[in-house]
Amino acid sequence: MLELLGDHTVQNVILGAVFLGITAGVLGSFAVLRQQSLLGDTLAHAALPGVCLGFIIAGGRELGPILAGALFTAVAAALLVLALTRLSRLKTDAALGIALSFTFAVGVVLLTYIQGTPDASQGGLDSFLFGQAAATLRSDLWIMGGIMLASLALVGAFWKELKLVTFDPLFAGAIGLPVVLLDVVLTAMIALAVVIGLQMVGVVLMASMVIAPAVAARQWVKRLEHMVILAAAVGVAAGLAGALVSALGRNLATGPLIVLAASAIVVVSILVAPGRGLLWEEAKRWRERRSLRGRQVLATLYELAAHHRDPRFPTEAGALDAYHGLETGAVLARLERQGLVRRASHMPDEGLHWTLTDRGHAEARRVLADVGGEAA
Amino acid sequence: MDAQALHEPDLALHVEDLTVSYHGKPVLWDVDVDVPPGVMAAVVGPNGAGKSTLIKSVLGLVKPTAGHMRLFGRPYAEARREVGYVPQRSAVDWDFPTTALDVVTMGRYGHLGWLRRPGRRERERALAALDRVGMADFADRQISQLSGGQQQRVFLARALVQDARVYFLDEPMAGVDAPTERAIVRILKDLRDAGRTLVVVHHDLQTVRDYFDWLVILNVRVVAQGPVEEVYTTDNLRRAYGGQIALIERAAFEPAPAAPVASTTAEG
Repeated sequence: MLELLGDHTVQNVILGAVFLGITAGVLGSFAVLRQQSLLGDTLAHAALPGVCLGFIIAGGRELGPILAGALFTAVAAALLVLALTRLSRLKTDAALGIALSFTFAVGVVLLTYIQGTPDASQGGLDSFLFGQAAATLRSDLWIMGGIMLASLALVGAFWKELKLVTFDPLFAGAIGLPVVLLDVVLTAMIALAVVIGLQMVGVVLMASMVIAPAVAARQWVKRLEHMVILAAAVGVAAGLAGALVSALGRNLATGPLIVLAASAIVVVSILVAPGRGLLWEEAKRWRERRSLRGRQVLATLYELAAHHRDPRFPTEAGALDAYHGLETGAVLARLERQGLVRRASHMPDEGLHWTLTDRGHAEARRVLADVGGEAA
Repeated sequence: MDAQALHEPDLALHVEDLTVSYHGKPVLWDVDVDVPPGVMAAVVGPNGAGKSTLIKSVLGLVKPTAGHMRLFGRPYAEARREVGYVPQRSAVDWDFPTTALDVVTMGRYGHLGWLRRPGRRERERALAALDRVGMADFADRQISQLSGGQQQRVFLARALVQDARVYFLDEPMAGVDAPTERAIVRILKDLRDAGRTLVVVHHDLQTVRDYFDWLVILNVRVVAQGPVEEVYTTDNLRRAYGGQIALIERAAFEPAPAAPVASTTAEG
């Protein structure tokens, strides 16, 4: 393991994954809360033509010009979407779809053009499609780290403004915040988050690095502060897991591995997060159903006893099953453990009977009073 | 303050020749509205009458095609800190990860300015406002876990910490339970009695006379405005609501119930 950590490639991959995870998690939180997840996808695809332009202009595979180009075309695509929705009557989803496919088509055409030129030998540009963690250089890390620090500084400095404009843009506008400018800043930050991941995750799947950590984090938290921090942690974890497997295995594409790791965390979060998780809600429903059934059986026993003018009237288990249309054995066993009913024998040739205890009577009266109270 | 710059300084709200249009269709057309200080004014009108748009235009959230607005004689950009705002509850995503206290604290952001963070003073004001709307026990509750009425109270508390001279409220009584409506009306009347001015977009014609003392009836143009007892007439409402009036007429124009009964229901 130590030997592994001494390896320059592995060091670069780890640092890159940390930078990527933190940036995408923090900025993605705002994108998800502004319901702009799809914008992330469009911007990611729109980065491809910029990657190619950067390559052509720089005359080689240098990350600086490539990321600058990617940022440029991503922002241009964002403006295109904005113009389409503002000036035409196109809905946002249609505008995003058009911008995504158009820019990606331009990118692929440029990519194939470059591959046809002699420069292609030093190319490897198609690694920007699905990412290649092992190709991360020390100099790339300076750029990624710089972008991370810049976006963290921006979020830190304008925290309350960004929070308010995300939560309630109308109120933000009313107290004088420049909502349009903050909108542009947040969109540009999504573009930055996308650009920082091109090297490791690639344009096709980068959107999920923006979306998945934020979605997973949202499940567990009550406050935006915690969401942003947890999303950054999830991003780092997914980035590390995917990038390391890829760097060690050599043959597996990094982007998909990182995205798989992030998706696994999302699935777990959606299932088990306390309060919001599906399993959690299912368990709550199940408990409610169970307690409802218990109260129903209790009420039946009570009414039968009242009907027979015998508080200890033994009711046959089969009659209860028939009345409620389901097996009441488990329900009765639980009521017995709670001391509300007890077993009774009636006729030797008949089956098991149940009768209410004193506590059972009190509880049944309470249940019926509740129901009566609602009816009245 | 340059006295010459003030235009209609004796009016809490002065709107003149306001026209707003979306996609070339007028939403508000040549609207003049004047609201004197210290009244609780209702803005009523049928769906699509431009009630919310009127408020949003005054607050600079919608760009008017023509016209100007003044608050105590000053344009909104200069009067911003003297204005409180309660948007429609449906305007925000209540699943946003934050607490009731945090939302109320946002009411101080405009006074704090850039880069300054809310501190203990802001926190104490927000807690006091939550207490005033009966939500003190819910300060740390996540807003997604609040009922509709509780969410509306939180929004009102946020406007209270704005400590404004004029309040604009967009349908604060829409979809809230009866106790919440009573609590909101009580607080709004207290504000008015303390000399603040309230402009409330309201949807329930039947309660207009119980709650408000000033009325603006709007349907793209201003149909009528003035003290409630003068403006709340069958004729005016019919002009605003047209065919829909048959629905309201029966309920709204029964002889007014004895005043004490009406006000106990409203404030009880």
